[in-house]
Amino acid sequence: MVRSALFAIGGLLLGLVLHLVVILNLPAVANTTAFGQLLAITPTTNKTVPLVGATAGVGNPLRLDPDLSYAACRLDLRNGPGEVTGSLPVSFWSVAVYDPSGTVIYSTTNRDGIGQSLDLGVFDPAQTRLLAEQKIDVNAGLLIVESRSDDVVVVVRLAPSQPAEQPRYTQQLGKLNCRNIKL
Amino acid sequence: MRFLLNVFLLLAIALAVGFGLSWYALTDGRLFGATQVGPWTAWLRAGSPAPDPYTRAFLTRSGVLQLGQSEGVQFVATTDSDGQALDRNCRYRIDGATPTATFWTLAPTSPDGTLIASAGGDPEFRSTRVARANDGSVQLYVSKALSPLNWLEIGGEGPFWLVLTLYDTALFSGIGGSQIIMPAVLREGC
Repeated sequence: MVRSALFAIGGLLLGLVLHLVVILNLPAVANTTAFGQLLAITPTTNKTVPLVGATAGVGNPLRLDPDLSYAACRLDLRNGPGEVTGSLPVSFWSVAVYDPSGTVIYSTTNRDGIGQSLDLGVFDPAQTRLLAEQKIDVNAGLLIVESRSDDVVVVVRLAPSQPAEQPRYTQQLGKLNCRNIKL
Repeated sequence: MRFLLNVFLLLAIALAVGFGLSWYALTDGRLFGATQVGPWTAWLRAGSPAPDPYTRAFLTRSGVLQLGQSEGVQFVATTDSDGQALDRNCRYRIDGATPTATFWTLAPTSPDGTLIASAGGDPEFRSTRVARANDGSVQLYVSKALSPLNWLEIGGEGPFWLVLTLYDTALFSGIGGSQIIMPAVLREGC
């Protein structure tokens, strides 16, 4: 009886270890992550791709908000620092930078005093160091984001005040510049 | 023989605890990182640059494009305020105030994220387009049958979820106190 109880306690402890292994390794073994889906939508770098909006009755794996317009831009920082720039309509918009683990390494909205002009730069640590040493020229006012990964996807969300404006807003998002800064 | 039975017991408990606890942590999640307010659940650290391991695992499993912390936060209700699973054949009233935000949207979805609002109508509620009471609170109806005030028609059969997304919310700034006030989800008939 005592021996069975000891085996049961052993099983409990082994179960806790198994639980931790599952939780810690799930991000590494999963194949349907949000970042993976973004890469499928943006197969090439340096190109702004408007995302197809969510509509009733149609699958919505990324859980996009049907009231918002979205655009994604994939950057490869091995080719130099990345930048996403452009003008956006007078409405709420936000921008988020995703790394390969799907983590949002930076996000902001136009409510933070940015206005209607988006000027976002994404740098890896080595490029940030060069920037600090003033070896890279960037435009004044460029928002600097440091990424530990060279592969990032920038997603811009735009909220039209009326649904009828959505096609025009989506078109505007497609005009955003997405490129590497020449060193 | 007894030793083999004990080994079987150990493995059975280990597998049940290991996978059962993981499944619970990534679905309900209350003890592991998710915040629950009434029927509403949110993973508040989902948009953080440094999410905890449970939040990271939840995001991986769900595959959703989560909002950054500056952009907002998403709450999901899978049950009404009495704990009963949301059913498309019932009428629900979402009643009360929402946390401070630039705007919010409320969408009924199937558990896989597909929008279930009837074709031809609005796919979801938006805070800027709903009628409010004098105190700023809202009364929203979600049902198949015609309902008063703010009504969103849904279709199909089976369970559904309510997804409330707060954009540019003051939830993380502490403005308005540390207590999160969310609307009730009331079943009014099936």
